[in-house]
Amino acid sequence: MANNSVAVPGKKKSFKDVCKDNIGFFFILPWLIGFCVFKLYPMGSSLVYSFTDYNLFDGMNVVGTLQNYVDVFTDRKIVTALKVTFKYAFFEVPLKLVFALFIAYILNFKIKGVNFFRTAYYIPSILGGSVAIAVLWKAVFRDDGLLNGFLAIFGIQGPSWLSNAKCALFVVIFLRVWQFGSAMVIFLAALKGVPQDLYEAASIDGASKWRQFFSVTVPMITPIIFYNFVTQLCQAFQEFNGPYIITQGGPRGATTLISLLIYNKAFKEYDMGMASAMAWVLFVILAAFTAVSFLSQKYWVFYSDEED
Amino acid sequence: MKKKIFKRMMATSLVAAMALSMTACGGSSDKDASADAEKPAAEADKAEEPAAEDKAEEPAAETEAASEAADASTGEASGDYEECALTISWWGGDSRHEATQKAVEAFQKKYPGITVECTYGAWDGWEEKMATAFSAGSAQDVNQINWNWITQYDSDGSVFLNMDDYKDVFDQSQIDSKWIEMCRASDGSLAGIPISMTGRIFYWDKTTFDEVGVAIPTTLEELMKAGEAFKAKGDDYYPLCLGEYDRMILMVYYLESKYGKDWVTGSTLNYSKEEIVEGLEFIQSLEDGHVIPSIATIAGDGAASIDQNPKWIDGRYAGIWEWDSSASKFSDAAEGREIVVGDYFPDFGDNKGGFAKVSMAWAINAKTEHPKEAAMLVEYLMNDAEAAKILTSERGIPVSKAALAASEADLNPTVVEANGKVLSWVSNNFDPYFEDAKLKNSPDGVYYDVMGGLSYKDYSVEEAADILIEGVNDVISGAE
Repeated sequence: MANNSVAVPGKKKSFKDVCKDNIGFFFILPWLIGFCVFKLYPMGSSLVYSFTDYNLFDGMNVVGTLQNYVDVFTDRKIVTALKVTFKYAFFEVPLKLVFALFIAYILNFKIKGVNFFRTAYYIPSILGGSVAIAVLWKAVFRDDGLLNGFLAIFGIQGPSWLSNAKCALFVVIFLRVWQFGSAMVIFLAALKGVPQDLYEAASIDGASKWRQFFSVTVPMITPIIFYNFVTQLCQAFQEFNGPYIITQGGPRGATTLISLLIYNKAFKEYDMGMASAMAWVLFVILAAFTAVSFLSQKYWVFYSDEED
Repeated sequence: MKKKIFKRMMATSLVAAMALSMTACGGSSDKDASADAEKPAAEADKAEEPAAEDKAEEPAAETEAASEAADASTGEASGDYEECALTISWWGGDSRHEATQKAVEAFQKKYPGITVECTYGAWDGWEEKMATAFSAGSAQDVNQINWNWITQYDSDGSVFLNMDDYKDVFDQSQIDSKWIEMCRASDGSLAGIPISMTGRIFYWDKTTFDEVGVAIPTTLEELMKAGEAFKAKGDDYYPLCLGEYDRMILMVYYLESKYGKDWVTGSTLNYSKEEIVEGLEFIQSLEDGHVIPSIATIAGDGAASIDQNPKWIDGRYAGIWEWDSSASKFSDAAEGREIVVGDYFPDFGDNKGGFAKVSMAWAINAKTEHPKEAAMLVEYLMNDAEAAKILTSERGIPVSKAALAASEADLNPTVVEANGKVLSWVSNNFDPYFEDAKLKNSPDGVYYDVMGGLSYKDYSVEEAADILIEGVNDVISGAE
């Protein structure tokens, strides 16, 4: 991208110079084309659709209506799905972060065979939301499944995990919490970056491990906690696979997250206008949460290059 | 220098690896990969045939086709056809895939020069995939469709080819005109050719009934008594298992038996709130009488469907209310148990209530470049004796008289018995909007909301009836 030619006022740039100046665009062209065709265009068209009654088969009959947006906030099912999505994100994100950080902290110690454990804990993340996972999850959580069988050993009668509204959401949350691998790896890298001399100094001052964790480790890795928090939050609001494969949104809509409802509206009822409006509402909610998170940074995130 | 060469080699191999991985991604993400895998084999077969032989075979094929067309009293001989490549799509299980592929191969042999590329998969996600394909105009030439797709996708008759225009290629006289008429689009064009008819009927696990010591129920009264006997055997034993949609259909059969009138005619729901409340109370009485497990119990079983439910497999759920064409799926799952076809209950009411629907149909994409050849493929799959023997009851009991005559000996006797019972019993008409996604969707469709809400005690029967009436009216108000 470096340009050695000196622009002379009044002299037109040669074609070669123009090419040289803009060669960077040429390098990112594949990405740029992909972005425009597969991201920008669909996003733009969905924004347009959201103001129409576009149906996959009946076409567009009403254009320039706000009805879809009114429905998003008044339709009982959509409002319930939004509430469930908030509840999901509210529990899933902190649980996953705490769990990932906890395991990363342990795996940061010099333990025998630590590499094996690091791999083992990462495996669930690779599995994602597949049919095999759905089968496994149902086998664990069904009425006479592994978990209730285990509880029965201690004389506890477990709840009906899949048919009880509160428990079913937990089952779906737990799937993603279990898949904490990617967050864990990032935490692990951050933990390794905490200077050892800080711990040495802290232990000389008589700080316990617990105190060291909260007063040294956590403050030092807040940028990474922040990064993980934002990415996990975005993922949580867009969660689809878990409820789709395990509960199909049931029982009684208790695990129907907004993304699942968007999918059903778009591809089962072919109501693209409504589905687009719902997607844009989700987008705005996510953008708002992310913006708030960024604004909150200055109160709790510490960057080492900052001056006091 | 060496370093440079090494660098170049590395770069080349990395680019190659990337290109390969991208191709691999394309392949694995494509659901049709398995179908495509078949293609090269079929093409290779064809390539091996010398061109001269192709030509030599053609006249024979022509006479054969011509004589068949004459047999079926179709006007124009379908012998003169264009050499072309057709595509076909269907959903189903492995046995249907195998049989259809064999039939397609036989078709290609019969009509050299026409190649057929198959795309198939399981039902899960199939409807979404085909809906977008039809909307984008990229669907296959010939498609196995669900009956309600005609009303849902072809609102103006422009999505599917009008089969009336190809009467000389496809012999409509082989099918009862009553069933043919059910496949007309709103503009009166014939959008599809019905493959089989189906209705709901009881299937009982005789092994469990024998264990419990109760006879297979033939009346509602006997069924209610069986509920008590099953409860005595064990809390998780039930004579019948009904999901939300099963409950809805049983309720409609019950009401139609009692009152005789169709559930919906055009844009009118024919049942009053009081009558619907009665229907819902009937369903609730089954749950209260330990005849059927609650929706929560079924959800707690953690199975995707009843045939995969361990309690059906081991006989604790001893009855189902299913499409007659689905029998083999359920009896295969309950391995080692004797599954028998039940009877309709005469004490439901004075009428032979209930409906039969077109279980599935063949439809040709209106945008096909080879409509005549596509119609020939449908004619072959529907009416040809050779195809009928290969396909047997893979898509239910064929409605084509020619196919039925040719394959009768090879059909699954349980399915034949069930289908016979259904078609000789049901007397009501089926409303094409009955299966509208807004009603039938799991779990946010109206039927699921009503039946689930009732079972979970979220709604009283009156509230459930109101929601059902509002939901149904909302959908059918769009009908003529």
